[in-house]
Amino acid sequence: MPFDQLDLKRAIAGDERAMQRLWSQHAPHIDAVVRRLCGDPELAADVSQEVWMQIFRALPSYRGDSQFGTWAHRIAVNRTLNALRKIRRLAKLEVDIEDDSAVTENESERTFVAESIEQAMAKLSPGARAVFVLHDVEGYTHGEIGEELGITPGGSKSQLFKARAKLKKLLAHLVDDSIPVAGKGKEHVAPV
Amino acid sequence: MSHLSEEQLDHLIDQERARKQAPLNDWRTIAARAREEGLIRDSQARSWQMGRPWLQAAAAVLLLIGGAAIGRMSVAVPDTSAPSEISGASFASVDDATTTLERALTEYQRASAFIAANASGPTTVDSSRIYSARLAALDQVGDAMEGALKTAPHDPVINQYYLATMGARVATQQLAARPVGLRLKGF
Repeated sequence: MPFDQLDLKRAIAGDERAMQRLWSQHAPHIDAVVRRLCGDPELAADVSQEVWMQIFRALPSYRGDSQFGTWAHRIAVNRTLNALRKIRRLAKLEVDIEDDSAVTENESERTFVAESIEQAMAKLSPGARAVFVLHDVEGYTHGEIGEELGITPGGSKSQLFKARAKLKKLLAHLVDDSIPVAGKGKEHVAPV
Repeated sequence: MSHLSEEQLDHLIDQERARKQAPLNDWRTIAARAREEGLIRDSQARSWQMGRPWLQAAAAVLLLIGGAAIGRMSVAVPDTSAPSEISGASFASVDDATTTLERALTEYQRASAFIAANASGPTTVDSSRIYSARLAALDQVGDAMEGALKTAPHDPVINQYYLATMGARVATQQLAARPVGLRLKGF
């Protein structure tokens, strides 16, 4: 049953059932973005708790101007990025933006073979992963990413280029018949 | 060293975007945190228990009416009301019916206070079990009515049953909360 205005009022009033309905409906998507941004399942689980507490705290401020999922998603991204900053996982981002050496592979990265794009994303630097996830997976523009991360749109583009280049290497072994190549006719359509 | 093409990487990203993933925590974990912060208010876990005294009062009236009807059926007292009276046709207008309802509410409250003060018996272990069973049943009925209201929010029959359920639950909670041997001074 979809979450509706009645549920929203009940959740604001502290009704556990309404809150659980809200969580059940949106947790798969909200937690997915947290997981991708964190790149570490245990950290993601902790951050997810903080995200959901913030969503519940902020419920009275939800005005219905946007879809609830969109509103909650924005909270999830902000809260996750804040959490990552707190634990200094993004501390290197500002350096990486201007430093081409950020894509220099070390020995462990050269020998690492990702079995999935999730594993490969986890091998990206926190900053590059954030830009990649927000742009290519979540559909943010470079301008929006710049605002979220406190970098320029150009810096975001640069990080995305580096992230995609690294992922193409890490996932190179997946080149086989299972991934379509020719005749797909698909351009890179992620927003810019 | 080979590389994925842009298209191949985009295909993997599409797959990742569409991949269904389980939540990172179970609800009990989230609920425990929310309860710690006071975001879940157990005493208000059911929204219709709080904040709407007029609704509870209206429910109480319906409960009284429903109880009277059940009482009639139980003791086989014939219902002499004419169909037009049952359907409310004796009211000249909505305002007239509202005035009557308000008057009935006042009378109900006075009668309830009197009965509670003079006729309430002690709570026993058995009655506690009965109240628990009744509350559980009323919860189920309340949920069913809530679900029905989402489909038909203006249906008068569903609304009446919903209000009656609410009233019955509030009354049962009050009864269940009484210490053994305590008589209520009023509602």
